[in-house]
Amino acid sequence: MRDKQMDWRSSAARRVAVTGLLGALALALSFLEGLLPPVPVLPPGAKLGLSNIAVLYAVQCLGFWPALGIALVKGVFAGLTRGGLALLMSLSGGFLSTGIVFLLSRLKHPRFGLLGLGISGALAHNLGQLLTASLLTTPAAAWYAPWLIGFGVLFGAVTGIILRVTMPVLNRLLPSSFVDTEGGAGGIPPDGIVHPEEKKSGGREKWN
Amino acid sequence: MERKLLRPADLLLLLFALALAGLLLWGQAQSPSQGCVAVIEEDGEEIRRIDLGTLTQAEEISLGGAYNIVLLAEPGGISFEYSSCPDQTCVRTGKLTRAGQAAVCLPARISVRLEGGEQAADAMTG
Repeated sequence: MRDKQMDWRSSAARRVAVTGLLGALALALSFLEGLLPPVPVLPPGAKLGLSNIAVLYAVQCLGFWPALGIALVKGVFAGLTRGGLALLMSLSGGFLSTGIVFLLSRLKHPRFGLLGLGISGALAHNLGQLLTASLLTTPAAAWYAPWLIGFGVLFGAVTGIILRVTMPVLNRLLPSSFVDTEGGAGGIPPDGIVHPEEKKSGGREKWN
Repeated sequence: MERKLLRPADLLLLLFALALAGLLLWGQAQSPSQGCVAVIEEDGEEIRRIDLGTLTQAEEISLGGAYNIVLLAEPGGISFEYSSCPDQTCVRTGKLTRAGQAAVCLPARISVRLEGGEQAADAMTG
């Protein structure tokens, strides 16, 4: 036993706790977004997708499964509040988006920035939902595709920028040895404990 | 190492996506807007077909169902006039005027799409 106070910071339990926090954040963000008045000029189905910020962060700093878990929580929440159809639409968009962003964030060449990850996440989300809508009703639902692509680029860029701005704050949730936005390691050490001397400044370093 | 906000690949992705959207929009603008037939489907099954080209005055079509959907067919266009569904996506879609265009009420599983048009009658059989 080295430093008992340090152990809880670096345990797998901490990852689970942070995943839960991000899940709650995603729910809060989608609730807040629901309070915004509908904008008439937007094509049907286009939304800002603020809660994707939580998924975007999780996929980079916690890994694939926690991020998928958050997408699942989002879907179940949508299902409980808005019915089975909303569950299906949320999950189809969320799962595809998580998968695509995970793959792209692990790519070394070409290497995407947060803006690109935000945009690809939004586009994948829209694609998943469009496919589901097409299957449930008529393939003609694909008529919306150009608008969904255009607004996906815009809103995805917005989520990417917001994530870039809030990342220093989010990073305080994790010991810095876990924070690996470049997508290399980012896992728990084999012994499950990050030893104090490996710990840097607790994730409070500047992110410029 | 931190992840940067903007990298060259991001700009490429952005330009590619916008170009794709523009191309699709351009393709849609080529669709004929004359003599379309509105096809109304429920659960993917056709329930009604209205030739907008022969319509001389606006006509309301009540579909009933759980959401009391009312369509408004006019010469040259069709729209969801009323639906009690929560998301109102179908109503906000507005009037459909071009072949290939569609409006969908997902909660009611009802969709309206425009088919045909004089020039593209053969191409739109699928």
